[in-house]
Amino acid sequence: MSAQRQASSASQTPLISPAELSYLYTSLSLPDGPIRPDGRSATQFRPLTAETDILPGTNGSARVGFADGTQAIVGVKAEVEKTVVAAEALNLSQHTQEEYADNEGGEGKQSSSAGHGSWVQMSIEIPGFRDDDALPVFLSEMMREPLVESVAGGQGGDGEMAGGLKGRLVINKRWHWRLYIDVLLLSQPLSYPLPLLSLTTHLALLSTKLPKLKSKGEEDPFFDDDWNAAEYLYPRSQLKSHLSSTQQVRPPVTLLVISVGDNVVFDPNREEIAVADTVLAVSVTRDTDSEGLKLLSIRTVDPPSRLTQPGVPNSENLATLGSTAAAEEAALLEPSTGEEVSGVWRPRRGGVKRRTIAKMLKLVLEKGGVGEEVLEGLEGVQVG
Amino acid sequence: MKSLRRDFSSNPQAANVTSKVFVRSTKSGKVQKIVRELYLRQDIPCSSKLCSTCPSTAPADANGNISPFVLSEHPAGTSAFPRGHYLVPDTNALLNGMDLFEHTGAFYDVIILQTVLEELKNQSLPLYNRLLSLIKTDEKRFYLFFNEFRLETHVRRGPDESINDRNDRAVRTVAKWYTEHLKATVRKGKKNDIPAIVVITDDKENLRKAKEEDVTALSLSDYVTGLEDSDRLLDMINESKEARETKGARGELFYPEYYSMSKLMTGIRAGTLHQGVFNVSPYNYLEGSVNTPAFDKPLLILGRDNSNRAISGDVVVIEVLPKDQWKSPSTKIVDEEAVTKNDNPDSDDTEAVVTERERKALQEEVRKAHGKSSEGRPQPTAKVVGVMKRNWRQYVGHVDSGSTGVQASAGRRQQNVFVLPMDKRVPKIRVRTRQAGDLLGQRILVTIDAWDRDSRYPTGHFIRSLGELETKGAETEALLLEYDVQYKPFPKAVLDCLPAEGHDWRVPANKEDIGWKGRRDLRDLLICSIDPPGCQDIDDALHARPLPNGNFEVGVHIADVSHFVKPNNAMDLEASLRGTTVYLVDKRIDMLPHLLGTDLCSLKPYVERYAFSVLWEMTPNAEVVSADFTKSVIRSREAFSYEKAQKRIDDPSQKDELTESMRTLLRFSKILRQKRMDAGALNLASPEVRIEADNDEVGDPLTDVKTKAMLETNSLVEEFMLHANITVASKIYSTFSQTAMLRRHATPPPQNFEELINQLSKKRDMRLDVSSSRALADSLDRCVDEKNPFFNTLVRILATRCMTSAEYFCAGAHAESEFRHYGLASPIYTHFTSPIRRYADLLVHRQLASAINYEGEDGRAVVEGVMTRNRLEDICRNINYRHRNAQFAGRASIEYYVGQALKARGEKMAADGVDGGIEEEGYVMRVFENGVVVFVPRFGIEGVVRLEDFVLPEDSTLRTVEERRELVTRRQSDFDNEEYTLRVSNKGQPESERGSTVELFQKVNVNVSSVKEEGGRGAGKRRVRILILGSDA
Repeated sequence: MSAQRQASSASQTPLISPAELSYLYTSLSLPDGPIRPDGRSATQFRPLTAETDILPGTNGSARVGFADGTQAIVGVKAEVEKTVVAAEALNLSQHTQEEYADNEGGEGKQSSSAGHGSWVQMSIEIPGFRDDDALPVFLSEMMREPLVESVAGGQGGDGEMAGGLKGRLVINKRWHWRLYIDVLLLSQPLSYPLPLLSLTTHLALLSTKLPKLKSKGEEDPFFDDDWNAAEYLYPRSQLKSHLSSTQQVRPPVTLLVISVGDNVVFDPNREEIAVADTVLAVSVTRDTDSEGLKLLSIRTVDPPSRLTQPGVPNSENLATLGSTAAAEEAALLEPSTGEEVSGVWRPRRGGVKRRTIAKMLKLVLEKGGVGEEVLEGLEGVQVG
Repeated sequence: MKSLRRDFSSNPQAANVTSKVFVRSTKSGKVQKIVRELYLRQDIPCSSKLCSTCPSTAPADANGNISPFVLSEHPAGTSAFPRGHYLVPDTNALLNGMDLFEHTGAFYDVIILQTVLEELKNQSLPLYNRLLSLIKTDEKRFYLFFNEFRLETHVRRGPDESINDRNDRAVRTVAKWYTEHLKATVRKGKKNDIPAIVVITDDKENLRKAKEEDVTALSLSDYVTGLEDSDRLLDMINESKEARETKGARGELFYPEYYSMSKLMTGIRAGTLHQGVFNVSPYNYLEGSVNTPAFDKPLLILGRDNSNRAISGDVVVIEVLPKDQWKSPSTKIVDEEAVTKNDNPDSDDTEAVVTERERKALQEEVRKAHGKSSEGRPQPTAKVVGVMKRNWRQYVGHVDSGSTGVQASAGRRQQNVFVLPMDKRVPKIRVRTRQAGDLLGQRILVTIDAWDRDSRYPTGHFIRSLGELETKGAETEALLLEYDVQYKPFPKAVLDCLPAEGHDWRVPANKEDIGWKGRRDLRDLLICSIDPPGCQDIDDALHARPLPNGNFEVGVHIADVSHFVKPNNAMDLEASLRGTTVYLVDKRIDMLPHLLGTDLCSLKPYVERYAFSVLWEMTPNAEVVSADFTKSVIRSREAFSYEKAQKRIDDPSQKDELTESMRTLLRFSKILRQKRMDAGALNLASPEVRIEADNDEVGDPLTDVKTKAMLETNSLVEEFMLHANITVASKIYSTFSQTAMLRRHATPPPQNFEELINQLSKKRDMRLDVSSSRALADSLDRCVDEKNPFFNTLVRILATRCMTSAEYFCAGAHAESEFRHYGLASPIYTHFTSPIRRYADLLVHRQLASAINYEGEDGRAVVEGVMTRNRLEDICRNINYRHRNAQFAGRASIEYYVGQALKARGEKMAADGVDGGIEEEGYVMRVFENGVVVFVPRFGIEGVVRLEDFVLPEDSTLRTVEERRELVTRRQSDFDNEEYTLRVSNKGQPESERGSTVELFQKVNVNVSSVKEEGGRGAGKRRVRILILGSDA
């Protein structure tokens, strides 16, 4: 049971002594910028290798490997499915039948562009976990949610992605695509695998293609049998420049951000998470509505530091005090007050300051911020 | 953030593995991305006999043999390629010129690429099959080169390359590779003989690129021009493309566009559109009908714009028209030849889809729609909105002489002509030819290439000439082609399956021989056969003998064809393809090679033969006590003709055992027949005549034409065959409940009879009860006209036409209640008794052998009867089709013969002066507004009599076609749709008794003659003309 509980928080706590924890915490929370164990700057990501279209049988796929050896593979499969008309829509069906009889398609865009979140199915497989264990379930929901909830208005002239991914999956009133996103972590999770999985999923979705539709309007779908003619699920920009006036809709990425003291650290490794005050999963995407990035969701992840054992200050440590009596005395005189003793590890308690969250989000969302950097980096991975 | 990508370029294995990716849409609506890995190899041979290396590397089979090399050492050349050439056609070249590639005069040593074959398969399945059979034959030296699997010739599709461009590149790559390969591998000393590799393509871009890449490429027509006899060959190129190019911009569209495939599919699934086979009425070429599962009556399709380029036999998708456009079926005979007489094949400009004249013909129908009788009630009509499958074939026809230009015979200029197909339901075909003059008066074979929206008639091209019109050879071949009868001689592979002993084959004398295994010795039984005179392929023989217990043993012995035709060898496949033997008047096209059919299998008298016997023990009242099946050896004592057998039975002086046994059989057969009739079997009739062609030149040729006489012996044989079939059917069904090969005759839906019931009650006040076959049989018996003995037969003929046709099926395809044979009133039925001439019987033999655990010579016979249902259903479909066509061909052959006999007679008479024709009795079968259909029992023919062919008293002296034609304008008619009467008179005459009135079922005196159309359109075409001289009433 305890393993599961741990799993649902930010992965297993590494076996680090309170003293080490304290050391880490102190160096990460230095006022003029954190000093990270691997020497990265606060916003720097670990180097990774990425490639797309590695599974020929899928509609889109990607592999991402971090330098620490963790690797993930994501495959996206698409299937044509009949849209079940919901009960309240049934009384409309008569109407649509008539409409079908004399229209050639094209109209009724507003009503038909609303897709359904259940059309995207995500399953995550992590070695050592059952598929109904909390971690995979929690992770998949955490990634699926921003994916299907990202809704674009479509004013930006990019009609194709109106309604976001859900809208894109609509073929016509009676048919839609169903996406199966299968995420496979190839190694034991060394650190909280969310960023890795999210990046890989993002890449896989970017490379996902759907067969080109040949039929029109409300006809039963009929597709071009030439795979080369297939179209990207997330359309490519015609011009290669990212500075083009209209931005392309992109699948969301979920970034893991931690705060340690007043510092904000991106792409934390396992040890860094272990001492974090706050762990946030921030999902952002690019869409046509707004300049810059759009925030889709923030989730707080239970920081594992809560579960660590506190360090014992020398003043309370019987071993250092030398005698039992003295210890008892000390305990009597200075009962554990919970006060911070510098250099002694104490698990973080209590909430997060608004200021901290605002700072974290600002770093993610601002122009030229981490979010954009990540998205551009991913875009740079050759797709197709 | 930094990312790295793996690099594959250094992987040496990568070149050998590649993949082919495409999207597959399944029937259930799934859309899948399919990835096929290709492992490229280097051992696929070039198959040229010049090559010195490929024979050593080519893959060998289990015995270490490599398949023989195909391409010749000394391929034929042309003036441009004196050292010979190998041809590499691309897909379009094959699409446009398949007839050329099949031509025996040219096109040898052809390399067919896998790429091209697959592309062709996607575009045209019939052409694909023709190409496959070309590759299979050795004579033409076609080599299928698997270029996609060979490392050097595999072509990867470029990033922005279209599939077409990629395939074109593949063709060029192969050409290049072959050139280099041959250069490198041809043995020294032969270096000068290296043939050229010539790509044949009609794609301009491909030609240009080939030039750039230094590949020899020619367009099909350019290549053909360099051949001998190019005029004739050029005519065989598909015209559609060329025609489209020349027309190009004009874009006057006569026909509405078809719906898109996805729209059609959606409509069919949603039930707003319907799919069915388009049939054209034989009396009115503008009226088609489509049977769909959704409606119990066929939907009418009236007029050219509604039929929208569908040709009889196509699988079409139709949309029902709004109710205010519903009409009743036509009451008029409309002949394409007559209506569209003056069309000019060269100019489309003045064409409208519906000409004024056609419109007039259709107008009549609208008027009729308001009638009261069931016949006049408007029926749902529909229009064609798409074609699922074209069932275009090759059509036999002749050039419409009216459509050739004046200068026709003069030059070799290419011109458009119309070809009138023999099949009246097929519209005329526009053909471009350089040999119009030569083709006049010939039976020719043409094919349809396309029917575009901007062309009123389909365009096609000439394939070959069958010979002069009306010559026996040409007409017989025409018949066979028209009914898709396989008449080519059996290929060598089939003949190789025959027993090596040939005609000397004997039943082994030693009973220990393996051939006797599982066979009963029935040689001492007094068996005889009864068949039509001159029958060579004797399928069946009979015997009967009293048993000690007072009962009788009755046996039916059927030729044991399955002993000689082993499953799945070349002979079996050929037979399953042919399906049946086709009998023409003077020709028989066998299903099995001659040696088997007329000798080894045939139950000839006085010799021992293998047989498959059905033996019953019957009580003297013909009650079956038990039935037994066995393979056997028999010796027939005598082969009778029906007549001879009858005589022998009737001759009281004959007291020998054989005659007695025949008498027993006859007695039993009568009881069996009575039982069958009591069960409700129908006594149907078809207009059959027999032609005894053994007559000499003297005398009246028409004496050969005989209506079939029914002797008691005919029915004797028939009854026992039916009985054997039924017994076998239940036996094989009990063993093979899913795969038994059975035959059924579906109960016809009552609405089929509606019209006939209506006609009978109106004209004769007779009732036809169609509630069951028994009721129908009884009511048919009551349809008797005292004054008109033939009337009953006439009604039976008409009733037969209302029924569905019997069909073979495999037991799993229908519920047991649907097995019924309606006409025979038997709950289960199959065909067992004629394995020499029907493939179904052969299959049933195998199944029965397996059902009785007969092991055969090698112990495999038990397995032979077992077959998968899918395969059986394919076979059923084919033999049903072949069977029907064989019947049609047989009838058409008789019709042709009657025409010829009439002509011969006419010519003889003509020596004395006027060709008077012959006077006969006829019966009115159908009444139209502008003519009637008359049936002449004497010749078994039916023909249309138009208004001008009614001989009225005042013009009885006018006899020639031309004279009568002038009467057309003066004739008027008064047609009563409800009373089925037609009154014909000359215009301007008072409504007095001077006209002539005919009604349905009426007996009329007719004058039958064979006339040749002179002058104008259709010149040189002979037809049987029927003149109505007057009624008997």
